[in-house]
Amino acid sequence: MEEKLTREEVLHVARLARIQLSEEEIEKYQVELKKLLKDVEKINDVKGYDDDILIACWDGNTELRKDEEGEMLDPKQVVENAPHHAGNYIEVPVVIGESEGA
Amino acid sequence: MKYLNKSITEIHELLKNKTITPVDLVEEAFENIEKNKELNAYITLNKEEALKEAKELEGKEVDNLLFGLPIAVKDNIITKGLRTTCGSHILENFVPIYNATVVEKIKAKHMIIIGKTNMDEFAMGSSSRTSYFGAPRNPWNKDKICGGSSGGSAATIAARDVLFAIGSDTGGSIRQPASYTGIVGMKPTYGRISRYGLVAFASSLDQMGPMTKNVYENAVLLNALVGKDEKDLTSARREEEDFTRFIGKDIKGMKIAVPNFLMGDIVSKEVKEKIKDTIQLLEKSGATVDYVDIKYLENAMTLYQIIAMGEASSNLARFDGIRYGFQAENIKNIEEMYLETRGQGFGEEVKRRIMVGSYLLSGENAKVYYNKALSIRDDMRKEFKKVFEKYDLIIGPTTVTTAYDLTDPMDDPRKSFMDDVLVIPVNMAGLPGMNIPVGFDNKHMPIGMQIIGNSFEEAKIYQLGSFIEKSLNLELTPGGEK
Amino acid sequence: MANYIPTIGVEVHVELKTKTKIFSNSKNGYGQMANSLTNVVDLGYPGTLPTLNEEVVNLAIRAATILNCKIRHEMFFDRKNYFYPDNPKNYQITQARTPIGYDGYVEIEINGEKKKVEIEEMHIEEDTCKSAHRGTKTFLDFNRAGVPLIEIVTKPCMTSSQEAKAYLEKLKELLFYGDISDCKMEEGSMRADANVSIRKSEKDPFGTKAEIKNIGSISNVGLSIEKEIERQAALYDKGETFQPQTRRFDDKLQDTVLMRVKETGNDYRYFPEPDIPFVIITEEMIEEAKKGIPMLPDERRKIYVEKGVLEINANKLIQNRPLSDFFNTLLNENINFKTASNLLLGDISAYLNKEEKEIGETTLNKERFIELVNLVDSDTLTSKNLKDILTMVMEQEKTIQDIMKDNGIENITDDGEIRKVIQEIIASNPESVEDYKNGHDRAIKFLMGQVMKETKGKANPRLAMELLTEELNN
Repeated sequence: MEEKLTREEVLHVARLARIQLSEEEIEKYQVELKKLLKDVEKINDVKGYDDDILIACWDGNTELRKDEEGEMLDPKQVVENAPHHAGNYIEVPVVIGESEGA
Repeated sequence: MKYLNKSITEIHELLKNKTITPVDLVEEAFENIEKNKELNAYITLNKEEALKEAKELEGKEVDNLLFGLPIAVKDNIITKGLRTTCGSHILENFVPIYNATVVEKIKAKHMIIIGKTNMDEFAMGSSSRTSYFGAPRNPWNKDKICGGSSGGSAATIAARDVLFAIGSDTGGSIRQPASYTGIVGMKPTYGRISRYGLVAFASSLDQMGPMTKNVYENAVLLNALVGKDEKDLTSARREEEDFTRFIGKDIKGMKIAVPNFLMGDIVSKEVKEKIKDTIQLLEKSGATVDYVDIKYLENAMTLYQIIAMGEASSNLARFDGIRYGFQAENIKNIEEMYLETRGQGFGEEVKRRIMVGSYLLSGENAKVYYNKALSIRDDMRKEFKKVFEKYDLIIGPTTVTTAYDLTDPMDDPRKSFMDDVLVIPVNMAGLPGMNIPVGFDNKHMPIGMQIIGNSFEEAKIYQLGSFIEKSLNLELTPGGEK
Repeated sequence: MANYIPTIGVEVHVELKTKTKIFSNSKNGYGQMANSLTNVVDLGYPGTLPTLNEEVVNLAIRAATILNCKIRHEMFFDRKNYFYPDNPKNYQITQARTPIGYDGYVEIEINGEKKKVEIEEMHIEEDTCKSAHRGTKTFLDFNRAGVPLIEIVTKPCMTSSQEAKAYLEKLKELLFYGDISDCKMEEGSMRADANVSIRKSEKDPFGTKAEIKNIGSISNVGLSIEKEIERQAALYDKGETFQPQTRRFDDKLQDTVLMRVKETGNDYRYFPEPDIPFVIITEEMIEEAKKGIPMLPDERRKIYVEKGVLEINANKLIQNRPLSDFFNTLLNENINFKTASNLLLGDISAYLNKEEKEIGETTLNKERFIELVNLVDSDTLTSKNLKDILTMVMEQEKTIQDIMKDNGIENITDDGEIRKVIQEIIASNPESVEDYKNGHDRAIKFLMGQVMKETKGKANPRLAMELLTEELNN
């Protein structure tokens, strides 16, 4: 039998990624995601490396920006690119619950 | 009269002595593109604006080699006022309100953008078949893929529509299609070119680069693209240099390494033979070539899968239908807006990678996978550095086979990674790497060799590349010289 | 209700006083037209990348120094991934693993007893956009998106609402005086969350935690902690338990209400931000940041009292930053600081409050203020006369002496002239002189009043008093 993820496992990652899946897709991804996850398991076979990490693939340091104002967008431009807006605001369906962030 | 099959120096002379104008070049480019329409190399053409810009250049001083030349830009590079789709439904109607730094740079050279080239959706794929707009075709055989993700850029250069294209390379997406289409494609050192305005796939790996029909033109375009950009903290501050400066120099005494991994069983016999022939040529010309082992190379694909999918899952989170782009219709609430917009907006490959990436970063997994991959990548980079203490350059095949059929199955999710197994290590170490055509297989499909340099040593790569180009003197126009 | 020991930790977000945002060069501002302070970076447009504002790092180092934190020399940023409309990239750039400051403390005083509130860590991050909910829609204004924040997290080391309030007052004072943030809770530039749990004994493990989010004032922090302790105690008393949860303080109810029960750990999928490589914090950067720290309240208080200012007045000065800063410019002068503080907190404050001005907006500069202090101190200018000319003192550029002259406030400082008047008054008021000699204090005041009346208030009061006493005792 082909190895696959459970339905719930697929739905869990789809939920994390905010992707709606059809029934067909769920079945397909049960198999496909499993294949990829088996691939990445191979990292556990790698030995002998140290703990330093490479964040960006070069050795440079970060140059900081001077605290000086630059150009800003016209509010019109901001809202006109959005699928929905009202006046100067971008509009979305009402949000229930509070931000999880800061 | 045809001009765009001539060399850049010839065209430059013709522009200078006013035999031709940028308008002639732009018109010819669009004629070529029209003639090669079935290649499906472009998602969006910029005809009206390009002609307008060309007209505006008339009367201006022809002040640099790139002046007035048409250029094709991969559709994941942001162009103000010109639709930028990333090959995706979710950005199908997205018209940006700013320019990528590279776009500003080519405009400063008075180059003219003629269109946005076809690509795998969000650069995820190895055959450009994940494009929402259909796959581009290989000019050498229209039933074959032209590789990916910069497939459209490769196709338009191979077909000689224009001289210049820009691609992007996260895990081989410039070099691999260059190999499949017989052109020169350079992925410069990470940090060489500002990523500002390149729609991020995997931020720590992404790098844009020039795609051209020959080495010299490639180096000339790279000259124009590089430089520290205050808008990109990962762009490097380097002294200005001319990347053409070693072109034409001989290679006597050059020390070259061939990693055994790149010549292993995964590589087809035909490809391997061609690389061996080239190695012989180099040895005969006074270079020393040694086979070496580089630790962690065989792990590069795994690291790549983890890092690229992990970062992609986060980078593509911004496509939510709120501030720009596609939003699903008939949504009842905010949750549905996210789910439906992204469910309908993204294609299969992208969804698959985002979901795996989300999994890899979730809970304790980030420690087990992503952070570990960052650690091993650091060590792998150090291993490469060790090789470069002894050797000038590293070479090997760019791809394991030549371009395969467009109709080949796409049902194995690992396939798109396997196609790039030889080119991925370069991205992992942030090194520069270039494809140079070295011959053809028995069906006359191009075979490519990749040349890998130490960080910021692109000029040395061009030196070897131009030497090989000159020595082999291959006929690289599909169907022969037009 | 049984007795419980509360455990309280506080998380504070403060917006930094920079000109531009943390990761882009658009303006860091408040109260402007919606979506007028943004650029493509703030809006999370595809292809955009963050840059890092130098002043944010500078202010964060300054804050870390003030909060007695250790400062990290090599740091990076992390992405906190979650989908929410106020989060333009659907990830927030923050510091989860290498906070710029850690292991610090703030000293507070409760009923004369000193206590160190331990700081676990403080890190740099970006603010989210502002959303307003109306009916079936939510409206987004991205002006706040990308405003620089530092988040300061204490250890769960407080045991009462008084401690939490004292900590917040002290923190606010330090960050405000450090020129790090304007700390206006009503405008959201300082926001506090409190974590509250209770347990029977210190030997018990910590109780279930409730987090009260985004409390709008320090007094409400205190109130919500008290209410939360009561709520939890009532549940435990009934033998009930509850889930870890997030609550908020409801202004109308004056109580905390449930927002959501925490899922088994939010899955933020943290990973190092690849767009910002390592940031190296050099000794020079730290020195530079330290140099920028203005004199802090504790030191001000100490110096003011040493200079003779009453402790209550020292505190009042510190509560008024512009006055305290003005006062600080005088510290090297040889003046009567008590008089100076009285003037600033008395007539001058009254004027400033009435006119809704700051001292910097008046003509009263350091030089003229010193002149004023000396005139008052020597009784050359009486407090009644000062009241008459105060507006001119605050609004004209003339010397105080000139203003006095303009208004006919002269000071007779001629010994002989005053003595003559005094002798006349003594001669014509023998009863009062007698009273004085019999020890009636009021008599000398009456006589003094006569002197001032005779000289139309122009006699220098101190001199006049001296001479009067002398003459009476002859």
